[in-house]
Amino acid sequence: MGSAHSVPAEMRELADRTGFTSEQIEHLHRRFKQLSRDQLTIRKENFDSIPDLEFNPIRGKIVHAFFDKRNLRQESDGLADEINFEDFLTIMSYFRPIEMNMDEEQLDRFRKEKLKFLFHMYDSDHDGKITLQEYRNVVEELLSGNPHLEKESARSIADGAMMEAASICVGQMGPDQVYEGITFEDFLKMWQGIDIETKMHVRFLNMETIAHCY
Amino acid sequence: MEDVGSAVAWVGAVWLALVLALIVLPSALGVSLGISEAYMWVLVKTLEWATIRIEKGVKKPQPQMLKSPAANGIIERDETPMEKEIAHLHRVDFEFSDIFYFCRKGFEAIVEDEVTQRFSSEELVSWNLLTRTNVNFHYISLRLTVVWVIGVIVRYCFLLPLRFTLAAIGITSMIVGTTMVGQLPNSRENKPQKGGICVANHTSPIDAIILTNDGCYAMVGQVHGGLMGVIQRATVKACPHVWFERSEIKDRHLVTKRLREHVADKSKLPILIFPEGTCINNTSVMMFKKGSFEIGGTIYPVAIKYDPQFGDAFWNSSKYNIVSYLLRLMTSWAIVCNVWYMPPMVRKEGEDAVQFANRVKSAIARQGGLTELPWDGGLKRAKVKDTFREEQQKNYSKMLVRNGSIGSLSTGTESD
Repeated sequence: MGSAHSVPAEMRELADRTGFTSEQIEHLHRRFKQLSRDQLTIRKENFDSIPDLEFNPIRGKIVHAFFDKRNLRQESDGLADEINFEDFLTIMSYFRPIEMNMDEEQLDRFRKEKLKFLFHMYDSDHDGKITLQEYRNVVEELLSGNPHLEKESARSIADGAMMEAASICVGQMGPDQVYEGITFEDFLKMWQGIDIETKMHVRFLNMETIAHCY
Repeated sequence: MEDVGSAVAWVGAVWLALVLALIVLPSALGVSLGISEAYMWVLVKTLEWATIRIEKGVKKPQPQMLKSPAANGIIERDETPMEKEIAHLHRVDFEFSDIFYFCRKGFEAIVEDEVTQRFSSEELVSWNLLTRTNVNFHYISLRLTVVWVIGVIVRYCFLLPLRFTLAAIGITSMIVGTTMVGQLPNSRENKPQKGGICVANHTSPIDAIILTNDGCYAMVGQVHGGLMGVIQRATVKACPHVWFERSEIKDRHLVTKRLREHVADKSKLPILIFPEGTCINNTSVMMFKKGSFEIGGTIYPVAIKYDPQFGDAFWNSSKYNIVSYLLRLMTSWAIVCNVWYMPPMVRKEGEDAVQFANRVKSAIARQGGLTELPWDGGLKRAKVKDTFREEQQKNYSKMLVRNGSIGSLSTGTESD
């Protein structure tokens, strides 16, 4: 207890890169250790121990996102088998809330990153485009819990939404034109003017421990 | 050498005599000498002083403090129900935006989940001078450290031997002893009667001791090994208790049968059951297993809440065994606990066991100031059942279907 609490250099570097405060990093580290059962890395199986997550229809995609190398800002592609704490923090940082002191450029970059994360979630074959089939997959997953909803209905929802997306991105299409898929630029276009930042963040409580007297 | 030996023996004898005279005899006779109260008063004053020192040490201003009601969590969860949130975004198209909601919920769950939280010790708002709770607190000042050192000395060199002696005396006469200070049972007129079933929320084996301090019960619980097992088998010799193996289905039916017999016999002692089935960390009440509520008879709910400031009573049985748990307990400052006896409840007409269990659970949670969780305490050891998982997916798809998404999709392009 008596030792002074100095922030190690790597912690500060992590804080700068991911934008979390050191208290938040400490908390996330504890959570990481809990999930990994005190190992240095996490694998997909470790996410099975979270009961709340089981409820989530797109649980598979969320867990997948943690291991997606594109999200981990690595140059290579594909899926990692396991991630360490740094990677964990990197993924978590996609869900940071906006801070008061961000300027225009930062805000824009921030938004782009969040949207890119979402894009990767849809684009499961990593080809840079969301095709109709990929989109159908997501919709089916979201609706998979309902036994009364047939596959056909899920399909038509997906198709209709895809058409709308096409209309926003490409405009009027000729009868023979085939829409290959939504690229990231198109994706961005779809979201212009719509405020997603407040929807896509997890608000961390300020962890300064306040002392209370009874 | 002899002198040393005889001196030690003499000290030991004096010690034992003091303990007997000042603690064991008065408590056996039900008389209070006021020592406990004085001790508590000193303790509270010391902790207040320590808290003020810590406050002074934290000089940084707190700019945006999100109001957190001593929440045992690190994220603020947005409780907007799914319907509202998704409807809000339905301007572009359905699913692209809907995925936000689930994404966020997923991340919140990964950062912290309600269930796993309940199985680690409650976090204190202010440090209580025990190293084991010093997670968020940093070095503040020399004076505080000195007090802490004194605290260590007091706890390990005085309180520990004291409690150990008591424990030795206690165990040999079949009672586990530790310094119980400040037990405040309220509304005594609702104490469980013979032939009834007493249910309470569960935090540690101490719960049983506290309740038996105040009345006699027949106990039902999981059979343990080690020291705990010895105590269990010993108690059976004095009184008819029911110890069983959780994982044995045959055992469970046997237990239900025996409980029914026991309850039917009005002259037998009330049964004490902890329907959560496992130790929870005393911040919340988890799902009550319906077994105890199927038996019939009157239920006497009891709410037990420990004050965490003085010592943490939660037993994490997957982390500590009973002996290390007792050691931690004995080196804490004190165990302070509030016990509320509540008015008896019976099963209403047309209510099934599960609803009845939930009703009792809410009453206990409300009385003790604990939060209520629908989760099963067994999740400490096992995984979520698949049936639960599909619930939310069903809700979501129901919502889409209700919005008429199938029939009336907006087809065609937007008009310029």
